[in-house]
Amino acid sequence: MSGAFVRACALASALGPDLERAVERLAGAPAVPARNTKIGGAWPYFAIPVAEGDWRRRAEAIARSVAEDLRRKAALAPAQWAALPCIVGSSSFSVGAWDDGGWAALEPSFEFSRRLARCFGVHGPVTAVSTTCTSGLSALDIALGLIAEGEFREVLVLGAEFANRLTVAGFAGLELLSETAARPCDRERDGLVLGEALAAVLVSAAPAPWRIAALATGMDAHSVTGPAADGAVIANVMRAAMARARWESAAVDLIKLQSGGGPLADSAEANAVRDLFAPVPRAVSLKGALGHTLGASGPAELALLLASLARGRVPETWGFAKPDGEAGLAPSGGGAEGVRRVLFNLSGFGGSVMSLALENAG
Amino acid sequence: MTVYLLAPAALRIAPDDFSARVRSRFASELRRAGRFAQLCLLGAQACLDAAGGDGPLGVLWASEFGALHATRAALDEGLRRGEPAMPFAFIAAQPHLAGALLAQRSHPVTRTACLSLAADAWPSLPQLAQRWLADCERVLVGWVEESGSGGAAHRSDWCLLQKKMMPGAVRCEQVRSPENAAAATAEDWIPRVAAWHGSTNAPLVLRGSGDAWRFTLNG
Repeated sequence: MSGAFVRACALASALGPDLERAVERLAGAPAVPARNTKIGGAWPYFAIPVAEGDWRRRAEAIARSVAEDLRRKAALAPAQWAALPCIVGSSSFSVGAWDDGGWAALEPSFEFSRRLARCFGVHGPVTAVSTTCTSGLSALDIALGLIAEGEFREVLVLGAEFANRLTVAGFAGLELLSETAARPCDRERDGLVLGEALAAVLVSAAPAPWRIAALATGMDAHSVTGPAADGAVIANVMRAAMARARWESAAVDLIKLQSGGGPLADSAEANAVRDLFAPVPRAVSLKGALGHTLGASGPAELALLLASLARGRVPETWGFAKPDGEAGLAPSGGGAEGVRRVLFNLSGFGGSVMSLALENAG
Repeated sequence: MTVYLLAPAALRIAPDDFSARVRSRFASELRRAGRFAQLCLLGAQACLDAAGGDGPLGVLWASEFGALHATRAALDEGLRRGEPAMPFAFIAAQPHLAGALLAQRSHPVTRTACLSLAADAWPSLPQLAQRWLADCERVLVGWVEESGSGGAAHRSDWCLLQKKMMPGAVRCEQVRSPENAAAATAEDWIPRVAAWHGSTNAPLVLRGSGDAWRFTLNG
């Protein structure tokens, strides 16, 4: 059982430059991502609506804006804020700087993470972690350890994924992208749509509405690019998260799915969910609205989901229209009454699988 | 929690010898694994070979520069072919893939993470491994750096931390107020433990930027 809470969140994403506008936008009609020729060539891409100079200056401008929002919500004393440790999770760090600056712009992940921490005005220890698409939750995992050991009362967790052509080209090379839109759980799903996000989560030992009850991890080594079709490892990790949180499966009110519209990966997760739950609880995927924001997706989807729940809404799953009878998952939005326990799934390249148990502490 | 260290191994590989070392250990170059992942795997496998044992395994490694040189090499290769990038070089997946590659070699890997840390922040690595030991039996801990353009050797240093005491294991304890601790860096802390191991009965105390670790021969 974890004694850590989500004290505050902030987010810049394709839905808006801040979390409040993102939640409002998410409550509206779904939008199809534009084909961004600068970033994605022929591919649709969920870009943060911020235009600013070169890649690095833009990333820093986004970071300062997210930092300002988080700092206001966190309401820490200036000295407390400045002393925060910062754990940064990303799958690409500053590789996008190469687009503008070539070799000279490529810097070690740690240096870029320290640059982001400076944009936030925090001067505690900085750690950078990459476990591909689960990087942001790996950062959260490290933060939970620091709090559990009493080293820090508050830890800043960043999930950072900024636009770059290399990432899009790589996913395109693996034939994992949709040419049109992300359709999580939909029977016509045909691939992912990537996106960028910078999400900040302030984790705290001090009670707040949402408690992180458990975080479980696993490794699915079936393939470095996707889970085994039976979803067995995903099911084991979800089971472990519930056991550590001391929940029965019937206690889960909502599952935030990893599902991003990939035909095989979505089916594997569906198999895992059906294996554990009968009946299957309400489910939601946020990748139809945010895009797959890779290493940022953990903190980004966490921020967006908790902000939506705080407004009394389970978000609709953008891109989902026609249930896939075989997969058997039908995400549904609507009122959030009674949503107290949320299982939050994430998985990624290299076999990394994670599940977070979140409990409304009232 | 008391933890025990086994099989500290410091691998140094001249860049020109790298491909031959990979082929010698794994029969061929590893498909879809970049140079950094292969370098991780060479050191990690050497450590596991020496340590033996079984049980759920965490794999935790760090680097100051990460796959920067491998990324540049992959981009160079792509540019020569007129393509934007080879698929597995495009994200910071190269280092992370090492965990999956180990798992595919029948090691029961349950969790992995690749960190990027300042060189003097190495004590946070065994500290994090100690936390992981609450969930798994053993944690493989490494520090890996590719050779830069200067021709220095590739480095892949690893040791195994576990909860269970074994003959020859080194007891490891975190020291909050290090006195008489020798300064160590990411580059030399595992090699120094390896060199010290078996050479004297006196404890070895090494410090980084903050905390220190005391290594004591068990028994």
